[in-house]
Amino acid sequence: MECYSEQIISIFVDGELEAEEAQRLRDHLATCRRCRQLLDALRAENRALSESLQELPEEAASPAGFSRLRSLPWSDVAVVAAVLALGSIVTGWIDKLSIPDALQWLNPFSLNGRTNLIFNVSYYLAHGGTAMLDDYAAVVGKILLLLLLGGSAMLLGRRWRLHQAGLRLLIVLLALSLPGFALQRRHSDFVTVAANETVDDTLLASGNTVRVEGVVNGDLLAFGGTVEVRGTVKGDLVSFAKRIVVSGTVEGNIFNLSNSLDLDGQLAHNLYGLMQSLRVNDRGRVGGGVVVGAGDVGLEGEVNRSVTVYAGNADVSGSIGRELTMAGDSLTLTNTARIGGNLSARVRELKNVRIADGATIAGTRDIQLRVRKNHLTHPGFYFFQAVWLASAMLVGWLVLVLFPGFFQASTHAVGSGWRSFGLGVAVLAGVPVAIVVAAITLVGLPLSLMLLALYLVAIGLAKIWVGAFLGRMLLKPAGATKSDWLLGLLLGLLILTIVGFIPYLGGLVRFGVVCLGLGAFAWQLYQVSRPAITT
Amino acid sequence: MDAKRNDAKGPEPREGKAAQMEGPDLESVIERAQGHDAEALGEIYRLYARRIFGLCRYMLDSRESAEDATSEVFLKLQRSIKTYDGSIPFLRWLLKVAGNQCIDVLRHRKRGQQVIVEAEEGVAAIEAASSDPSPLSAVLSKEERAQVRDAIARLPENYRVPLVLRYYSELSYDEIAQQLGLQRNYVAALIFRAKQELRRKLGHRSQ
Repeated sequence: MECYSEQIISIFVDGELEAEEAQRLRDHLATCRRCRQLLDALRAENRALSESLQELPEEAASPAGFSRLRSLPWSDVAVVAAVLALGSIVTGWIDKLSIPDALQWLNPFSLNGRTNLIFNVSYYLAHGGTAMLDDYAAVVGKILLLLLLGGSAMLLGRRWRLHQAGLRLLIVLLALSLPGFALQRRHSDFVTVAANETVDDTLLASGNTVRVEGVVNGDLLAFGGTVEVRGTVKGDLVSFAKRIVVSGTVEGNIFNLSNSLDLDGQLAHNLYGLMQSLRVNDRGRVGGGVVVGAGDVGLEGEVNRSVTVYAGNADVSGSIGRELTMAGDSLTLTNTARIGGNLSARVRELKNVRIADGATIAGTRDIQLRVRKNHLTHPGFYFFQAVWLASAMLVGWLVLVLFPGFFQASTHAVGSGWRSFGLGVAVLAGVPVAIVVAAITLVGLPLSLMLLALYLVAIGLAKIWVGAFLGRMLLKPAGATKSDWLLGLLLGLLILTIVGFIPYLGGLVRFGVVCLGLGAFAWQLYQVSRPAITT
Repeated sequence: MDAKRNDAKGPEPREGKAAQMEGPDLESVIERAQGHDAEALGEIYRLYARRIFGLCRYMLDSRESAEDATSEVFLKLQRSIKTYDGSIPFLRWLLKVAGNQCIDVLRHRKRGQQVIVEAEEGVAAIEAASSDPSPLSAVLSKEERAQVRDAIARLPENYRVPLVLRYYSELSYDEIAQQLGLQRNYVAALIFRAKQELRRKLGHRSQ
């Protein structure tokens, strides 16, 4: 009689063969030694399989393997407590600041303009209505902020497993102790440090006008419509205002984000900032250097070290101790201008560089046109593309090895098309708003920096998800091992990179890729942040 | 379909080592749990969490998902335990519930599609070549068992899931077919192919 196939015997060993056929097989086994041997081997294999499986993987053997299950409510409670504590502080801060009118121009929740428009039209809500909507906007703003904070904390908590009691405690303590650091806060419409007054701590001042006529021994963190320093700040001046005037002395650095900055007084160290207009008047003196991006820069005073400006227009009539490096539209050096080092300028048109005959330049003059070169002819371009590709592959490989499930699921999420794209657009546009909101509350500054870092990383990763998805679509590997995934990723990234250089279309594609990838990533983060939902 | 199969070493559901409780004791715990007794539910968790986590870990690709799935199983147990009627051993029932949970997770990831899609050619499509290395030997060292587990983890989903349901949960072909929405014959072929694939993966070891 003919022998049975291995598969039939295997099914028999599993106890799953139809009774009649099983009986025929038994009869055959009685006479066939070869089949009996196979049967024994298959039985042994089943035992080996069962034994191997029953001995749980290492991670399940340690009680920590699912300690989280038991402590789940507690870790969530701790996270919620931390969020509430943080949230209460943040909202408290917003209440304290209550976003003065002067700051409304940078308050993303402000509905001033829009509400006025609406209420001018609908007469019966007239005056009271505006106030009501402002309140409403403030409340919505707070809720959004709380949700944002809560959401990110939850996410981090779940992702990073905050089950060590110590860590949880630390978070709660940190949240509770935040308002306690050595800081004096002053908030009113008009904040002053009088001429005969000395503030020993760091001073956080916010108001329509902040005026320092006395002495601040720490740093001055100033937020407001107008910030004036007429006295002395011994630390740094960190300011975020519409208009800043320094006619006194700042012994540290100035970090500044404002509409305008006028320096009439003394700055001992450096000036960093981003502003529409920067003016260092003839009495102004900067002990260190200047690094700014500005619409208009006027240097009439003295800068001890080098000046680096990215400016629309830069006029120099004062003296600069070392180099002047400028990139922008136009540069004017008057007769009184003195530059102790080299002058280098990158401008669009040579006629926009005007250097008076009397101007003194100690070093070399290097004035070049900013020409948009065709990068395809540049050998360095290919090198950097290769480096970029290699690093993207490396990152992709790392994510695949460390979080294979996450990698694959993010890639799948790209396939959902419009959902990912829409979510990506929302994240792309929404997160910067959240970053700014977190930053203006100051306590949220570290959070906003973390958020910014995460945001940039997510944008960087976007191309990887889309590349892997594209590669997978094209290759359609059956088993999908790690190397299949990587090969797909390489192919996808190559295609995306090449398509990205097609004029016009490339830009659109790159934007689409970022949105898709960002959306898929955000969606997947959301997915892992909650327990799986079953159908 | 269930009627008559050969009895050669059929599935013999066993309460794992974790379960030191048997018979009347376990029955009373289950009864209390069915009456929303938190302590009894805790007891069931203590007895079976490891076993269930093991299944989820084999079925899903990351420890994280496995932990999530395990907690989901026990969270849902508060309600679902009422549907346990004692017709099959409790552990077997619980493993089926957990298997369903994992399959749901996998299906959810595939946006609602079936976890394993039957090929149009059916069983024939996965009929295996017979020139594979011989079956695994029965006596394996601890290290070899770890290698087997590792190889199982690296099996593609369509082989891994039925294999684990069969040899970890010890479900019958019919039960597996029902859970995965496949034909019984197809499940049999998948399991057979899975074992061959496993041998191939471990091939270099035995030679």
